[in-house]
Amino acid sequence: MRQFIARRLGYSLLSLLLLSLTIFFFVRVTGDPATLLVEPGASEEDIAAIHQQFGLDRPLWVQYGLFMLNLVRGDFGQSFYYQTPVLELYMNRLPNSLLLASVAMAFSLLVGIPTGILAAVRVGRFWDSAGKLFALLGLSLPSFFVGLVMILLFSVYLGWLPSSGSGTPLHLIMPAFALGWYFAASHMRLTRSSMLEVLGSEYVKLARLKGLPQALVIGKHAFKNALIPVLTLAGINLVLMINVAVVVETVFAWPGIGRLLYEGISFRDFPVVQGIVIMGGTMIVAVNLLVDVVYAVIDPRIRLEK
Amino acid sequence: MARPGMFTTRRRDVLALAALGMAAGTVRPAKAVTPSGQLTVGVHITLAPTWLDPAETAGIITPFMVMYALHDAVAKPMPQGNPSPSLAESWSAGEDGLSYEFILRKGAVFHNGDPVTSEDVKFSFDRYRGAAHALIKERVESVETPDPQRVVFKLKNPWPDFITFYTVASGAGWVVPKKYVEKVGDDAFKKAPIGAGPYKFVSFTPGVELVLEAFEQYWRKTPSVKRIVLRVIPDESTRLAALKRGEIDIAYSVRAELAEELQRTPGLTLRPTVGSAPYYLYFPEQWDPKSPWYDRRVRLSTKYALDYNTINQALTLGHSHITGSIIPENFEFYEKLAPPVYDPDKAKQLLAEAGHEGGFDAGFYTCDVAYANLGEAALNNLAAVGIRAKLRPLERAAFFKGYGDKKFKNIIQGASGAFGNAATRLQEFVVKGGVYAYGSYPEIDELFPQQAVELDRTKRAAILTKMQKLLDEQTMYVSIWQLAFISGVGPRVDQSGFGLIKGFVYTAPYEDITLKSA
Repeated sequence: MRQFIARRLGYSLLSLLLLSLTIFFFVRVTGDPATLLVEPGASEEDIAAIHQQFGLDRPLWVQYGLFMLNLVRGDFGQSFYYQTPVLELYMNRLPNSLLLASVAMAFSLLVGIPTGILAAVRVGRFWDSAGKLFALLGLSLPSFFVGLVMILLFSVYLGWLPSSGSGTPLHLIMPAFALGWYFAASHMRLTRSSMLEVLGSEYVKLARLKGLPQALVIGKHAFKNALIPVLTLAGINLVLMINVAVVVETVFAWPGIGRLLYEGISFRDFPVVQGIVIMGGTMIVAVNLLVDVVYAVIDPRIRLEK
Repeated sequence: MARPGMFTTRRRDVLALAALGMAAGTVRPAKAVTPSGQLTVGVHITLAPTWLDPAETAGIITPFMVMYALHDAVAKPMPQGNPSPSLAESWSAGEDGLSYEFILRKGAVFHNGDPVTSEDVKFSFDRYRGAAHALIKERVESVETPDPQRVVFKLKNPWPDFITFYTVASGAGWVVPKKYVEKVGDDAFKKAPIGAGPYKFVSFTPGVELVLEAFEQYWRKTPSVKRIVLRVIPDESTRLAALKRGEIDIAYSVRAELAEELQRTPGLTLRPTVGSAPYYLYFPEQWDPKSPWYDRRVRLSTKYALDYNTINQALTLGHSHITGSIIPENFEFYEKLAPPVYDPDKAKQLLAEAGHEGGFDAGFYTCDVAYANLGEAALNNLAAVGIRAKLRPLERAAFFKGYGDKKFKNIIQGASGAFGNAATRLQEFVVKGGVYAYGSYPEIDELFPQQAVELDRTKRAAILTKMQKLLDEQTMYVSIWQLAFISGVGPRVDQSGFGLIKGFVYTAPYEDITLKSA
């Protein structure tokens, strides 16, 4: 077991190293951030001063080396735009993102799982078609469109909800719905397919042959097993909701990490983009590692696999 | 009223300037008003902590949105003039052009009650590290403070643009309290800034909102609005929705169709302001005898081909200014030229005379992608007279990098919002060696060094006028417009402050803003 965990840990660290390399060079391909910090037509001296201030005049490998050295010390660097440590910015926004992601996740599970079960149980019938339509709309309608339509309807025409910002539960409703809807559709699809697979299995057939009531077969025998992949996906989705709710947070002016990422990209704020990607990547790697370890504990075949 | 360039070598003018400065800067007794109410501004761009500290003023106009509230400058652009005496009630230039003396007003205080002194002015200048700091500091020999109300800048050599750069084209003249900054340090200052402006700092959440409260001891007048909140709402449609709902009172940057929607909404007011960013066409191959652009008639034909008013109406509801110049009209030494005329027949005739009857393939039309809509409209006009080009929109940074590196050919749609005056703009875009000058004309080049050392403002203005006329005669550029920045104002606002300071696109001075209910 120790060997298994060590191996997985090694893969995780290698993934993070590759991620750091990729994001470090990828953001630099996008162009020079100094150009966005001055007006068009600024003098070369002003641009050179910005390069010097942010260390952008050094060779790339030196910049990467410093970036990694600081990262190991827990220092994600200083934002070009905010002139503030990236970690401080991230931690300031994290509570807002956690709040939004939690509510959106709760919504997506409360909607996605029951509709998925209903679609699987009533496969090929009305509820299945309705569920498919829901999934199609949820996955294909862009969240900025959903967000703007909601603002127009609930803020401008009906005047029920504030159009943007944060601070009260009312501010949370529209962004949580706009963010959660996409994931609800995704959870619905996976629940449906997982349920269909489980409902066709031998032990469920046996339960039915034994004359157990339909509710018990679905609720106790099928649902529990079908839920495992859904919850695994939900864990990854939660990390995505926290870190990359870029569009929803921008449309609703929600002060979370997604908006910080948007600002980082807009201003070519390399340290901010790098920091958020590394934090998000670390969370995903950690969740995957945890899932692997839990699977290995449950199923000995996995940990004994060479 | 003091204006840039009023400094001359003649004692008579210097005295007159000082007298005018005194008149404009006389402290008005604070009105017997108690600030009340709240004004919320929906800001289109992310608020950065660096904007709270004038020492880090970047070379963009946006930080001044915050600085006009929190801080004050020795002199700054104001409704009375550009620049206008502020913390200094007057200034004068030495006859040799090597020194500038500022007399600070009595009674101006920082938010913590400390008086603004010459030491604060010197300290603020010394710690300034923002845009153009190297340019300014390498020309200033020393800053002397003979007494708490007097500051004397001594220059290494005569520099006619000193006042422009110190008071308008940088943040070097904005004053912070020396004692406080030294006590708390730079980082803590950005977290809890103290200034001498009309509004005090209350709270700041980076990227979210800045809350300010009226400073009743402000020397110019007691602000009417008690609390001002600058709230970041990045999405344009959401800003408009928030304005319609009354969640905010002012929405910055509402464009095209949304601006029309704003205009149609009862109770809301469209407030366009024209900034300092002219947009233009540039022909980098005009010095290549093999290029069609070498022939002035071809360049001139594009000037007649553009339907300025229709483009202006479609994209900025007619609020941009068609000036015919690449120098912003609010710049010192700007020379008003005859506005361009839309005459496609004349354009075709010029092309035919240049041997291009039926037009020609002009290659690429390269522009900043943010203004590709302007490019599309201009390209359609050019195609209508026979100049066929392909639009090549580039991401902003890539565009300006390629432009500055002189990589582009055919047609460039450029723009500049950089601070300065006519001379600084000509230096970067027209004169030999300029960052964005792909070539130059000797008759213009030879005038540039003459104006750079001319201390007599009238003579200098005459040289710069001549340069601008020569530029126009050569059709080196074809100016499209000076872009309007469109904002919306809600029904609670009486005086929004838009347009009070010429060339400043945001609402200011904050102390002049009033609410109807207040």
